Amino acid sequence: MNKTHAPNIAGVVLIAFFMAFPFVYTADDYPYIMHILITGFFYAILTASWTMLAGYAGQFSFGHMGFMAVGAYTTALFSHYIYLTPEPTNFCTEFAFGDGYLIVLDPIGVTSSTLKQDCLRQAMEVWGDGVAVTPMPVWLGITLGTLMGGIFGFLIGTLVLPLRAAYLALFTLGFSEILRAAISAEIAVTRGQAGIELPALFQDGVTLFGKHFDKTDKLPPYFIMFFLLLFCLGLLGLLAKSKFGLFVRALREDQDAAAALGVNTTRYKVMVFVITSMIAAGAGATMAHYVGIISPNNLVILQMSLIVAMAVIGGVENIVAAAVGAILLEFLLEMLRNSFQIGPVEIDMTVWRLVFFGVLLMLTLRFSPKGLLVPTIDYFLRGHIGKETVAKRGQNKPDDEPGSEAVN
Amino acid sequence: MTELIVKKLNKRFGGLHVLKDVSFEIKGAELVGLIGPNGAGKTTLTNVLDGAIQPNSGTVYLNHHRIDQMQPFEVAKVGLGRTFQVTRSFRRMTVLENLYVPAQALGTKLSKAEIHDKSMEVLEFLTMDHLRNEYAQALSGGQQKLLELGRLLMLNPEVIILDEPFAGVHPKLMKIIYKYIERVNQSGSAIILISHQMDSIFSLCNRLLVLNYGDLIADGPPDDVKNDPHVIEAYLGIDEEEAE
Repeated sequence: MNKTHAPNIAGVVLIAFFMAFPFVYTADDYPYIMHILITGFFYAILTASWTMLAGYAGQFSFGHMGFMAVGAYTTALFSHYIYLTPEPTNFCTEFAFGDGYLIVLDPIGVTSSTLKQDCLRQAMEVWGDGVAVTPMPVWLGITLGTLMGGIFGFLIGTLVLPLRAAYLALFTLGFSEILRAAISAEIAVTRGQAGIELPALFQDGVTLFGKHFDKTDKLPPYFIMFFLLLFCLGLLGLLAKSKFGLFVRALREDQDAAAALGVNTTRYKVMVFVITSMIAAGAGATMAHYVGIISPNNLVILQMSLIVAMAVIGGVENIVAAAVGAILLEFLLEMLRNSFQIGPVEIDMTVWRLVFFGVLLMLTLRFSPKGLLVPTIDYFLRGHIGKETVAKRGQNKPDDEPGSEAVN
Repeated sequence: MTELIVKKLNKRFGGLHVLKDVSFEIKGAELVGLIGPNGAGKTTLTNVLDGAIQPNSGTVYLNHHRIDQMQPFEVAKVGLGRTFQVTRSFRRMTVLENLYVPAQALGTKLSKAEIHDKSMEVLEFLTMDHLRNEYAQALSGGQQKLLELGRLLMLNPEVIILDEPFAGVHPKLMKIIYKYIERVNQSGSAIILISHQMDSIFSLCNRLLVLNYGDLIADGPPDDVKNDPHVIEAYLGIDEEEAE
């Protein structure tokens, strides 16, 4: 077997493992472990897309969780405020739509349980049970969230065009913080820090493999998030191997030199923001429906730092390594929640686990800046390069081959 | 036939007038040296021609395309390529990938296999084919200069600006760069060569442009320029009478 095939085989084994896991794992903590894996897949999508943005394209953005939140809040607001009814409510803002009416609820903040303030509930009281109110489909909300992420990605990508390095990082951090502050402040619309609730991915349950799963079962969201991860990795992998990947890496290395060689750096810089923002927004929208609530706490800097740390530890210049690193670290972080005792001293790991994580990050940066997984992948994919170079150099005549000498 | 027409170019940075009514024309596969003391405006002129900075006034036409208002990537596609004074290879990309960038950016209909073959041909010419899979950061400074020149061969421009290609280069590599310049020139491309190495300039170029504090003070054959009193003054800091 050729050594260079090893990473592909490892990939197939990993996919097979995650496909089989929900069916072979039967321990009592099944829902908990499944939840960790779903969360791990979510972080893997965010980390892989951030790796394309920062690792491949060199756009060190701290706004990725902001784009995630754009997707999550778009679908949250969409599903929270918009309904279809066959008759006009005469209480809400409404528009004729096909045979029925598109109802837009009034923003009523955290007091939405008060019937009188909820225009739709007022109408339903008048209608009785005879009128069916249809919520917006979840898939449409996720699609809109993804598109909104792309729009925000385009705007931010365009605004940061002249910015590089630390300035870009600060700008995107500013965007994320402003978004968080705005969501927190607009209590009437977003319910502020209380968070806004969303319907489940499968509100009425779903039948898979001949078995019915209700909305709280973990298996359907597990496969939704896993296939979304595979789709994103496939898309990002294709992009990385295409002209797009070549150009954004050139952009990362030297924007001016890339432009001088004919690369439209403006276009590719904006494109990479749009694509990665859409992926983050899509993941955020899907995850928000799975969790059932989204709040501004998802945008705190700690969350963004987690993405950066996962990418750095996995390997910031390799999409798959970053994704695998994210899943492993999410699992590790959860496992580290278990406190233990050393003699009379109890180590509270709910606090210390982040210290452990920080130390791991620092050690990785110091001793393996390419990440913990990338050197292993390089061993298989590039291990032969050095030998090949030396062998080829040996075939050349030394005097006639100055290009083969180390000349400075 | 290649035609580069530069008319009354002016560039100011605040109060500093870096290019003052600079005008010249290059027709056909000329090999033109651009010289001048430090701070004369050579790199600024290069940046204006390349589209990296826009002039305050004046025009630049390349083969009837006005390029002074274009972005650098558009200028490259029209047919003007350049190297940089300080080598700017894509360090964390392989040697081959460095060459693929301009080939793919041109949007030609070459297949990936054809681009690979062309890249290998360029690397063989530069005697670097054995380094094709190495990251550019693993190359020596001289090899990185060759790589930068190789990228231009992939771009195949009609006008090439080489900014200090001989600076800090081993004599053996100099020979390759000489061969490179001859090959590119013979293939029909015009070359503007910027260098402080007068031996190389005088042996390679059939025409010299001399900039001094933003003024184009001389334009002609090397022997004439060498004896031009303005050039002598600019380089030696003495006037004609003192020189005599």
